[in-house]
Amino acid sequence: MTAMDATVGSRQPRGSRRPRPWARWIPLGWTALVVAYLVATYRIANDSLYVQSVVLTAAIFAILAVSLDLVAGATGLYSLGHAGLFALGAYGTTLLNQHGWHIFLLLPVSLVGVGLVGIVLGTVSLRVSGLYFAIMTFIFTLVVTVLLSNLEFTGGLQGLPGPLFPDFPPALSGLGSSLAWCVGLILLATLVVVWSIRSSPLYPVLLAIRDAEPFAAAAGVRTSAMKVGVFGLSAALAGMAGWAFSFLGFISPGQFNWTVSVNLLVMVILGGINTRLGPLIGAAFVSAFPVVISIDPFLQEVVLGGIFILVIVLFPTGIVGVVSTLARRAGWRRPPPEAPASTTVDIAPVTQAPLADRAPGTNSDGAPGSDRDGAPGSNRDRAPGSNGAGTSSDATLGSNGGGNGSDAALVCRGISFRYPTGTKAVDDVDLVVRRGTIHGLIGPNGSGKSTLVNLISGQLRPDSGTIEVNGHLVHDAAAWSRPKRGIMRTFQTAVLVQELPATENVTIGLYSKVGHIAGRAALWPLLPGARRDQRGMRSHAASALGMTGLDRRWAGALIADLPHGVEQLTQLAAACAGQPSILVLDEPLAGLSRSEIEQVSQVLRRLQRDGVTVIVIEHQTRFVFEMCQDVTVLAAGRLVASGPAAEVRSNDRVREVYLGQ
Amino acid sequence: MLQVLLSGVATGAVYGLVAMAFAVVYYVTRVINFATGQLLMMSIMATATLSEHGFPVALAILIGLAMSTCAGVVIYGLAVRPVLRFSRFSFAWLVSTLGVAIVLESVAAAVFGPTSRGFPALLHQKSVHLAGASVTWQELLAIGVALGCLAGFELVRRRTLFGKVGMAIAADPEMASAVGANTTMYAVFAFGTGGLLAGVAGVLVGPITYANPYLGGTYGIVGFIALMIGGVEKPAAALGGGLVLGVLSVGANTYIGSQASDWFPFVVVIVVLLFAPHGLFASGNLLKRRARRVGARYASAEGA
Repeated sequence: MTAMDATVGSRQPRGSRRPRPWARWIPLGWTALVVAYLVATYRIANDSLYVQSVVLTAAIFAILAVSLDLVAGATGLYSLGHAGLFALGAYGTTLLNQHGWHIFLLLPVSLVGVGLVGIVLGTVSLRVSGLYFAIMTFIFTLVVTVLLSNLEFTGGLQGLPGPLFPDFPPALSGLGSSLAWCVGLILLATLVVVWSIRSSPLYPVLLAIRDAEPFAAAAGVRTSAMKVGVFGLSAALAGMAGWAFSFLGFISPGQFNWTVSVNLLVMVILGGINTRLGPLIGAAFVSAFPVVISIDPFLQEVVLGGIFILVIVLFPTGIVGVVSTLARRAGWRRPPPEAPASTTVDIAPVTQAPLADRAPGTNSDGAPGSDRDGAPGSNRDRAPGSNGAGTSSDATLGSNGGGNGSDAALVCRGISFRYPTGTKAVDDVDLVVRRGTIHGLIGPNGSGKSTLVNLISGQLRPDSGTIEVNGHLVHDAAAWSRPKRGIMRTFQTAVLVQELPATENVTIGLYSKVGHIAGRAALWPLLPGARRDQRGMRSHAASALGMTGLDRRWAGALIADLPHGVEQLTQLAAACAGQPSILVLDEPLAGLSRSEIEQVSQVLRRLQRDGVTVIVIEHQTRFVFEMCQDVTVLAAGRLVASGPAAEVRSNDRVREVYLGQ
Repeated sequence: MLQVLLSGVATGAVYGLVAMAFAVVYYVTRVINFATGQLLMMSIMATATLSEHGFPVALAILIGLAMSTCAGVVIYGLAVRPVLRFSRFSFAWLVSTLGVAIVLESVAAAVFGPTSRGFPALLHQKSVHLAGASVTWQELLAIGVALGCLAGFELVRRRTLFGKVGMAIAADPEMASAVGANTTMYAVFAFGTGGLLAGVAGVLVGPITYANPYLGGTYGIVGFIALMIGGVEKPAAALGGGLVLGVLSVGANTYIGSQASDWFPFVVVIVVLLFAPHGLFASGNLLKRRARRVGARYASAEGA
């Protein structure tokens, strides 16, 4: 991290972000907002009971909407279970309080209890698909309300009177209603947690789980566990809302039926899904509507429903989305810097300059030699500790590769894989990749190259055979754990988060490098160390992007605005940013222009100088034989030849099955 | 026992029709129309109101069915198609159809008030005795209509060009439209059929439940549960789910207690979804499905 920090000072001002002179006022601004919030709470706490009940209900729904937006907006999980979770919080508090539990003990109890229910519900319902999740959570809400209406001790359809919230002691009675303060503070706590997550490096990761799950998994994110965890957090917040709701009076099953879940989604979408303020505005709007427009309650539902359908059809980005579009159009906020104009500009001349600058310097500093010396040494230290399989493969490696046995970064032995449909895609393949080399993997379409790469990076597990990386057997390890072993990969077609800038996408590649991102996310901006890490990540991502030769002006542009080649290079930058010891590239040149191919070649050479082992699948044989020291040829899932590029090239069988000469 | 089975199948036939209404729409468009229950309610309310005003019963029913069919198409045009055009892979349709459901129910409650009104009797409530069990003609009609609807759908799907193009769209809408299939027309047709099936189910339950605005919620949820039990992918599976649910509900009422059918379907659906997430009849028969599932679990373990 210190190395990262060193680059911060020099690089950031020149990066895509312009220096922000107002940056130092940010903490002051937030403090002012919090003070204003507390003053508003004070005013509400001393207002009439009617105003209090309206505002407190709205605030509780705001907590629910904000917690729902965390799963629905950021993580893409449309939960219809929030009404049920809300009900569990409220009924749990009421019933346990009747059994003598103190209400302040019940706050953590409902947070943890409902959070655990959410984790179980999430684990069960995230097995199949997003739609299945929505359906399961919908059924969960139905089940909860049916149980509440039919059970004896929940008071049936009539419901139960909620517990009383204790008043302030006389000394503090000037503060007004204690319940108003309580709700105000838990709403504030919810906002702190959710907004912290939104400004932490976890946020791009969540968006990646939503839009580009393989990309997130390849960066080392445990995507399934993360989804369950985020849903658990959201459920805990809903439980807390239920806890507070129970103090407002009678609770009955009708207040928690499935239409409440729909209403919460309506609030989120109406206000603006996946925005900070959207859920708050939506909750305020939906709660204020019946107060402001007092008509027949059925007619109210009709009008509100009509407004909602109009909004979702005409303005799917909600109120916040419309306002920010208008603001942008009016010029208050600038669009991504000159991105639209530059799509027509050929980027080749611009991008080759920095690479040319860099090349002589790195050539002369003798980096390759020192890297080569360092890597085998560290491997030798590990060798005695590795298990039997490891040493035996070392031995065979020596006979195979014709080099120093411990020089192998990756050893695959006897790998077979059959798809469930019956196709045997990889059949007893051995692959040895020497450390620090660029290793080409070629073969006709359908020869099993991509399957082999998926086996190496953990997207698939082999039926038989072993995979050893830097002396560790990894073939049974999950995909998310492999970046920690130093394996990063790219995909044939880059799928990145469209709504984030290139730099933010690259920071996702750093996920396994920076510790405790998920653990610290809930309080991220409040932790100085975390803020430092985030600055480090940003500058590191910017320099990784720079390393691929991309012009700086692309760094700040949204992925959605980028041409295919730039997106592909961004993906490469994300993989490089994770500082892998083995980088696996699946057809990195697909769809690239000639100048972009040259950029990729430069990146590969540079990675090799830095001692990174690269495995590259590619169909452009000229590129492969020019760049790679070793080449492996596959055909119909079997190994045809493997060895130094020149040998493989002159191999008769290779010429026959692949080169067509 | 036979009595339970027979009444269960009769009840289940109606659930199955609602489930089929969901499934036909899902089959073609991959959208679950959550307002399906409210379409059922529309046909009931329209038929009841018209026959109250002296229309002949047959005409009232026809108009009721026409209304629910048209309403299905209108839902597609107003609340589904615009949302799909915006983003095909998100679940905006889920929220918009649920929104339509709430609006339709509130409109009905505002117009008709929350109380029930009469519904014309379709057939005499005379019973047929069958080996010690008795079935009303009304119940036999429900079973017959459900099976007839399924047979009709399957005939069209398998034996006509129209149906085969529909299958192509169901499998891959982009490819189908690339070779010239009019996906919009099929979607309109699917929503219309869904509305019609829901309407038919409404006419079949009307004489038993009478007409009230909240029937939509009740039958919509039960039909949806039947759909989940049977499997969302095929209308035949959905009908099967309805029959299973009907028999189990009547069984629960008989053997557990008179209110058991309020909560028993939920227990069934949870058990089914936990052990067969795609439904009991998702692909082929249960055994075939099991064999496949072992393979699928294997695959997902590989892919994880």
